[in-house]
Amino acid sequence: MLADFIETIVKILVVVVVLLTGFAYMTWFERRVIARLQVRIGPNRVGPEGLLQPLADGVKLFFKEDIIPAEADKALYLLAPMLAVVPSLLAAAVLPFGPDVTLFGRTIHLYIADINIALLYFLGLGSLGVYSVVLAGWASNNKYALLGGLRASAQMISYELAMGLSVLAVVMLTGSFSLVDIVEAQAGGRWFVLMQPLAFIIFVITMLAETKRAPFDLPEAEQELVAGFHTEYSGMKFALFYMGEYIGMIVISGVAVSLFLGGWQGPFAEQIPLLGVLYFFLKVAVFMFFFVWMRATLPRLRYDRLMQLGWKVLLPLSLANVVVTALAVVARDTGFFGLLG
Amino acid sequence: MQINWADTSFLLAPEILLTVGALIVLVLDLLIEDDTSPVLPGFTLLALVSAFGAAAAHLVTGVDDVALFMFAADPLTHFFRLLGIGTALLVLLVSVNYVQARSKHTGEFYSLLLWVTLAVVLVAGAHDLILLYLAFEFLSITSYVLVGWLRDDARSNEGAMKYLLFGAISSALMLYGMSLLYGATGTTRLTEIAAFFTIPETQITGLYSIVVPALVFLLAGIGFKISLVPFHQWAPDAYEGAPTPVAAFLSVGSKSAGFAVLARVLLEAMPAFQEHWTSLLVVLSILTMTLGNLVALRQTNMKRLLAYSSIAQAGYILMGLAAYSAGATFPADGLSGVLIYLVAYLFTNVGVFIGAVIFEQATGSVAISDYAGLIRRSPWLAFTFVVFFLSLAGLPPTAGFVGKLAVFYATVAKGLYFLAIIGVLNSVVSVYYYFNVIRQMFFMPAPEGAERVRMPASMGLALAISFVGTLLIGFYPEPFLNLANMSRDFISALPLL
Amino acid sequence: MSGAELFFYVLAVLAITSALAMIFTPRPVYAVLFMVVNFVAVALLYLQLEAPFLAAVQVLVYAGAIMVLFLFVVMLMGPAPAPLWEHIPAQRPLALLFAVGLLGALATAIRKGAFTPLTGTMSSAIATAGGQSQALAEHLYNRYLLPFELTSLILLVGIVGAVVLARLPRQKNPTTD
Repeated sequence: MLADFIETIVKILVVVVVLLTGFAYMTWFERRVIARLQVRIGPNRVGPEGLLQPLADGVKLFFKEDIIPAEADKALYLLAPMLAVVPSLLAAAVLPFGPDVTLFGRTIHLYIADINIALLYFLGLGSLGVYSVVLAGWASNNKYALLGGLRASAQMISYELAMGLSVLAVVMLTGSFSLVDIVEAQAGGRWFVLMQPLAFIIFVITMLAETKRAPFDLPEAEQELVAGFHTEYSGMKFALFYMGEYIGMIVISGVAVSLFLGGWQGPFAEQIPLLGVLYFFLKVAVFMFFFVWMRATLPRLRYDRLMQLGWKVLLPLSLANVVVTALAVVARDTGFFGLLG
Repeated sequence: MQINWADTSFLLAPEILLTVGALIVLVLDLLIEDDTSPVLPGFTLLALVSAFGAAAAHLVTGVDDVALFMFAADPLTHFFRLLGIGTALLVLLVSVNYVQARSKHTGEFYSLLLWVTLAVVLVAGAHDLILLYLAFEFLSITSYVLVGWLRDDARSNEGAMKYLLFGAISSALMLYGMSLLYGATGTTRLTEIAAFFTIPETQITGLYSIVVPALVFLLAGIGFKISLVPFHQWAPDAYEGAPTPVAAFLSVGSKSAGFAVLARVLLEAMPAFQEHWTSLLVVLSILTMTLGNLVALRQTNMKRLLAYSSIAQAGYILMGLAAYSAGATFPADGLSGVLIYLVAYLFTNVGVFIGAVIFEQATGSVAISDYAGLIRRSPWLAFTFVVFFLSLAGLPPTAGFVGKLAVFYATVAKGLYFLAIIGVLNSVVSVYYYFNVIRQMFFMPAPEGAERVRMPASMGLALAISFVGTLLIGFYPEPFLNLANMSRDFISALPLL
Repeated sequence: MSGAELFFYVLAVLAITSALAMIFTPRPVYAVLFMVVNFVAVALLYLQLEAPFLAAVQVLVYAGAIMVLFLFVVMLMGPAPAPLWEHIPAQRPLALLFAVGLLGALATAIRKGAFTPLTGTMSSAIATAGGQSQALAEHLYNRYLLPFELTSLILLVGIVGAVVLARLPRQKNPTTD
């Protein structure tokens, strides 16, 4: 009992530390990669290859003056940045990042919690994340911030539906909401991206929209809205928004990997558990690169196009995908034809 | 637990026809550019007629079974199916011209009309508190939308808003009642609830403190639909603001759904508490008819007059349920009186509303004073109005007389003399305001230069059907008495589990 | 007091105070947020009642989607606090009277009433079906199929009604996008 408790605490600490470090180095990674894509150099002065840059940024932000606009709603203004980080961190609890390992005679699962409704938990926390953006926009008492907040809430609600439905297709194939079960169902290279290419594409698009990343970064479109919902924020509060965004990217990539790319599965992962962890992190890193790549490549969508894409393209497509998958699952379970095994 | 789809689609045939019909109408509306195209009402008519036919076939062949574990396809349901779909048919006939003249969304109107009919039917057959609640909400939501249909008319908006607010509160109360009942019995099925209450007298008293509040809350929710006093305040405003055909449907279709629920919940699920609910019903009935009639005396607007009149009518119908006695022979059992009254009320009240629609369509007015001299402007319309008002007042030789006779007979047979006396007194009062309208039509001069009141063919047909129905029941009630006698049986099959 | 009881009481107090705060706060945005807190507290209570699916759906649908739309609308209304009460004479004392009466009736019913314990336990039903979501699905698509389908019709009617009642009249020259 006590051992279980300690094990859980240790796992939580590890995950939180990894995510926070991941966030810090993601900022470095993004700046370097974008610079490379734009044939620049990027931050390379602080430490070797600029590796200490995140640390320097952190120190700088800590000592920045913390400004609260005079007419702002103070309580909500303070609450919003916290709400940006907490749901993303909580969502990481259901990610399986490796196979079971045996340590000192104990079997240790490499996930914090395997709950029956993991995916719903993840989607639920994702939908709570909207509040940080909306409240930040409203509490700042700034028209750009408010517009950014409104855009964000409309965008996230619209794309949540398509995301939920694309996830549903995978859930139907495995018969479980648990990410652990879903990863296990993809053993032996039967990745769901092969069976559900459409769901995968929809998930990736909505993933960009949910994290408000380019080309869906309208809530903070600098040409129109200064910096959108976090226009008024400075110092550590500003940093918290970034933390929320990057941790959100990491976690959602982890979910995408678990859903469609076999999670930690890979050659010899069962035998050498650490290899599984490595596979998982490599796959997540591919997604992180993808995020950066998209930002460097694609122009921002226009607002009405964004809504049209969400409601008139992605939602019907994901619904159709659910229907087809349902038929296929029934056919498989009733042995209607042996194609899907 | 396997669902037998063949049985289910047979038992739910009228409901499926209505649903599919409504969906097709909605799609057709997208495809057809012309809002006045006859295809939409034609298809709606087809859906209603086929559903009516299916329900009639069920009644004649004596279908008595449970569909999808919680819908009772029993004679009582068949009766209310016929009643609800019949109302919708008459309402559809008068709606076509009315809605085309006032709204751009005719297709949506027809599909909502089909859905509100479906809601009535589902409410009537609901045999489980969960389905009952959902069907009730379905009925409410469709009704709110229909009442507020004239979106540029402030009174329509006001009526819909009041209806919505009252509806939300009363459905919350009803849910409290249902949850208490579930807590007491551990089941949501009406027959199982009844079975639970067949425990010895000593144990049942321990349940009073749950069941009595549950009963009151349920009555509040259902009473809202039937517009019983004191849950009636929405009715005059909603009726006045609603498109008049919708008011006709609310006053008959939706009200009869409320009576169906009341019959099922009280008579089928809670016969063990009959002495409790009887006294409640007596009080509600007296309050409802008295207040309805007294306030109706002062109305100057036809739709408001009819609203209060239909509140009063609900009071009379409630007498039948208060006088229910399970083992009694045919007309003395109370329930059959309710059923006969509802049939009579269907033809009469829809008829009088149709008359009002025709008048409104021709003159644009709903004020009673504008009905002056109607005898010169349209003798045929004025004459039918006389028959409808005679029937509403319960005078022979009309349908209303037969209905009232049956209800009063049961009340006296049950020994509720006081209630019967109040009922008679109220009928006398009602004669005054009904005849006031007739006086306007016959003895007041028509305004200078008033034109003849013309009616489109479909409205004329609807008026004729109601007129013939009202008189037919008055002169030749046997088939309708037989219908009520056939329909008073509850489900006999127990739901599968 | 056991841990479970403590958990329950903390959540119950949180749920009730947030509900009251939602009613009494004069600022619409705060009212919406208190309602979100209330929904989350109720979701956690569901969790304690071994209903994680319901808890997740409560958060996902109510706190995450519906209340965000509320907030959206409230924010568009602007920052001015709305007047808290409409002044219909005697409305407040009467409302208070009825509310207290309702509370009294429900409290008596719950205190004195002999409620029937349910047969079988949630965990055994879940175990037979092989999981919470599975158990729920089996009920939803069998015994409760009719209410389930009816719910979808209710939502459809709601959408149709909203479109009809709220859509702006068609303009003659629709703006091109």
